[in-house]
Amino acid sequence: MKTALFLLRKLASDRTAALGALLILMLVVAAIAAPVLSTHPGDVSEFHPPERLQGPSLEHFFGTDRMGSDIYSRILFGARITISIAVIAIGVSVLIGVPIGLIAGYYRNWVSDALMRVSDVFLAVPQIVLAIAIAQTLGPSIENVILALSVTYWPFWARLVYSETRSALNETYVEASIALGASPWRVMLLHVLPNISSSVIVRTTIGMGGTILTAATLGFLGLGPPAPTPEWGRMIAESREFLPEAWWYATAPGLAIFLVVMGFNLLGDGLRDILDPRTRRSVDG
Amino acid sequence: MRVLVLIVNRLLWFVPTLLGLLIITFTITHIIPSDPIAFIAGDNASAEQIAQLKEKFGIDKPIPVQLWNYIVGVAQGDFGKSLYTQRPIADDLVSRLPATLELTLVAVLLAAIIGIPLGVLAAVNRNSWIDHILRIFTVSGLAIAAFWLAILFQLLFAMEWGLTPLQGRVDGWGPDVVTGFFLIDSLIMGDWAVFWDVVHHMILPAITLAFPAMATVMRFTRAGVLDAINSNYVDYQQAMGVPRRVVIWRYVLRNALIGTVTQLGLIFGSLIANGVVVEAVFDWPGLGLYAVQSILQSDYNAIMGFTLVMGTIFIIANLLVDITHGLIDPREAR
Amino acid sequence: MGDELLKVTDLQVGFSTEGGLARVLDHVNFSIDTGEIVGLVGESGCGKTTLARSILGVLPKNSARIGSGEIRFQGRNLLAEDEATLATEVRGRQITFVPQDPFSSFNPVFTIGAQIEELMKWKSPAIEAGARVGRYSRTRRKEDRERVMELLRTVQLPDPAAILAKYPHEVSGGQRQRLMIAMALLPEPRLIIADEPTTALDVTIQAQILKLLRRLATDLGVSVLFTTHDLGTAYEICDRITVMYAGQEVESAPSDEFFAAPAHPYTVRLLQSLPSRDRGITGIPGSIPGLIAPPPGCRFHPRCDLATAECSATRPGITEVGANHLVRCYHPETTTEAAP
Repeated sequence: MKTALFLLRKLASDRTAALGALLILMLVVAAIAAPVLSTHPGDVSEFHPPERLQGPSLEHFFGTDRMGSDIYSRILFGARITISIAVIAIGVSVLIGVPIGLIAGYYRNWVSDALMRVSDVFLAVPQIVLAIAIAQTLGPSIENVILALSVTYWPFWARLVYSETRSALNETYVEASIALGASPWRVMLLHVLPNISSSVIVRTTIGMGGTILTAATLGFLGLGPPAPTPEWGRMIAESREFLPEAWWYATAPGLAIFLVVMGFNLLGDGLRDILDPRTRRSVDG
Repeated sequence: MRVLVLIVNRLLWFVPTLLGLLIITFTITHIIPSDPIAFIAGDNASAEQIAQLKEKFGIDKPIPVQLWNYIVGVAQGDFGKSLYTQRPIADDLVSRLPATLELTLVAVLLAAIIGIPLGVLAAVNRNSWIDHILRIFTVSGLAIAAFWLAILFQLLFAMEWGLTPLQGRVDGWGPDVVTGFFLIDSLIMGDWAVFWDVVHHMILPAITLAFPAMATVMRFTRAGVLDAINSNYVDYQQAMGVPRRVVIWRYVLRNALIGTVTQLGLIFGSLIANGVVVEAVFDWPGLGLYAVQSILQSDYNAIMGFTLVMGTIFIIANLLVDITHGLIDPREAR
Repeated sequence: MGDELLKVTDLQVGFSTEGGLARVLDHVNFSIDTGEIVGLVGESGCGKTTLARSILGVLPKNSARIGSGEIRFQGRNLLAEDEATLATEVRGRQITFVPQDPFSSFNPVFTIGAQIEELMKWKSPAIEAGARVGRYSRTRRKEDRERVMELLRTVQLPDPAAILAKYPHEVSGGQRQRLMIAMALLPEPRLIIADEPTTALDVTIQAQILKLLRRLATDLGVSVLFTTHDLGTAYEICDRITVMYAGQEVESAPSDEFFAAPAHPYTVRLLQSLPSRDRGITGIPGSIPGLIAPPPGCRFHPRCDLATAECSATRPGITEVGANHLVRCYHPETTTEAAP
């Protein structure tokens, strides 16, 4: 509790991190309160063809799309999709990656070598390339996007936790507790994990931004949840045949993606400055 | 000598990594018992026709045998046939590779030429308004979706103002193919009109692709320069009265760039990832566009080939980065 | 001794920090004669490094504030001259520098030879005074290289040609510091500022390096300003020792006299705190004051047994208690009881 308060105070004093937190808060509020905040809550699935492709107005803040649905309302509901994809995919990646990294880092045998080799192979290709292959095979749906992202993202955490664990094991007090006969689980959970948690938190925050971008890219390529789901990437893809006339159609969802990803990046940078002073100088000085 | 050991070491890992990648891709694309044949054969195909097609594509055999056949094929440069066009995938990939490489290399160059000086500028004027503006620039560069940026650029520069072509790589047939790099081929032909046309077509996709990479280059150059400026060796040289400009441009930048080079792998990753969508938006006839078309056509074989080739390019790029790093950083060559 | 080479008068330097202005040097007076080796002794944070860096003119630009004072070197006031002149004429030519950490003071990605060559390009004694350094001419390069080889032999480095081709991480700490000393001597300076030059080295190597520095300086008639927190080291190589406490110089005396007859209470306590057979280790009660709001007057007075009202009112002036033995105290000790 105390540490949480300390974190909050630190974050509040760092302007860019506070801005990041604010953007994320906006995303969460938009997702939770979408039915209240939206002007046309029904437009997630309702069409009004006569009103199609209208420009921004008081009635439709961000205009309407090709089906005559209100883009502003659809973006608000899209926040739910974005959050669920990012949170679940990252959650699964962390749940897979962290234990693998811990175990591979703690034991020094062929199993840990094998685990690391496998994650190296995953890391040898840009994440999106594998994600495209998986999403394509499984077919477009929100569950498959989450699966594709989880399968391709866990090695990042495995790698990170692996190297952090290796260096934590060299700390004198960890060596001492091993020498005193502490069980491997005790060492990992009580000594190593708390030590590496700050880098995992930082990595996870920045990873959220990356995941949202990748998910939107999959949506844009038509590999995301199918229409009429108000997924932001898909909305941009739909808009392309109506450019340049319906400029708002492409602009609004893109802006939403931009702000949310920026929010996570800024917060991640701020968290790193606070939690991990070693890297503070080198990247943000 | 030590660099040589490093190179051999990395080369030894090359084949197992690629094999691992192949197995993963194969598993991914075969994990669901999908039935591409039914798709190709159409609804009215007889059972006999389907069996024939299955045999033709080798899908009648058990999965491990298919994997083995695929590995043997890839080792001989055979990626199988496209389920859609029935053309050899290897040929398609080879013919599209130069377009992607040309765009990527131009984007890397742009990112370096613009990103490095701006990074130095930000570091030297640390915490000034220049630094703050450039920081906004880098933060947005890493947060913007490449496909959205591509569309915005099209909207403004091509559609509204008509300054650049909307899509494509060249008007008409383009230059005779020698290297496959249109910029070079048009120069070989000595055809300036074509050269300018190619440049014109390239501006928007290259800048779109370069933008996030530029942000990364800037970020790391800035950090590297700051680290170097605060280091003891710069302090020593200033205490010994070596002129500041010499210290900055000869020593500090060299040290900072070593750090930036190690990040080139990361940058390549973003270029390849963004290349897929940027090529799709600009209708750039490279590997990315090929992948997107294959997605639309559910062409598993083609997607597998694309994944392997992209993986190979990425692994080679990282290999080159490691070797370059080993060559320019004496500490690394231990 | 001989004529005065460097004279620091009334120098006041502060650093702006988040908590306010840290008064790191409080009206400091200090001098070095030609050919003299002076030890500047004090605990960490006493301002000795700041004084050394002020003389070199390389205080951090955005935080350091020079309040008052003069640094006269061969008659010219270094504080009054412009940065460019200092960098070309004085720094690295007349006054050179031996850094504290010989490892990180070399650029890791260039060979040692390349770094020495760069230094010689700008700082070789073959450059005529006032000449602009443009191209590094072939003849001068050759001349300089011979100079370098000779000096590397003088600092007892084996196989100089091989060492020049190496990278900094490929030679030992002791060799790196020998190289640093060679680089400090190459421009044929009048004064070398050595800022704790051996703290980063093994004890066994420290003595060798210090003796080398002393011998070369004496042979070549170069003055040395040597900062250290180690009285023993200072005694071994210095002609004269100046002690600083919390940003104030308190006493300055020839080495023998300094140890035999310390006059300032702080010096006395400092010498007593050296471990000895009959006393064991005794510390000085109290702690070093903060520099943002330091005690007024003599900054040692809160910890001083002899302190009186005037000590906390105004800082004492300079009293000469013996030949070349200066002390800033209202109650200087005149007995020799504190001698070790």
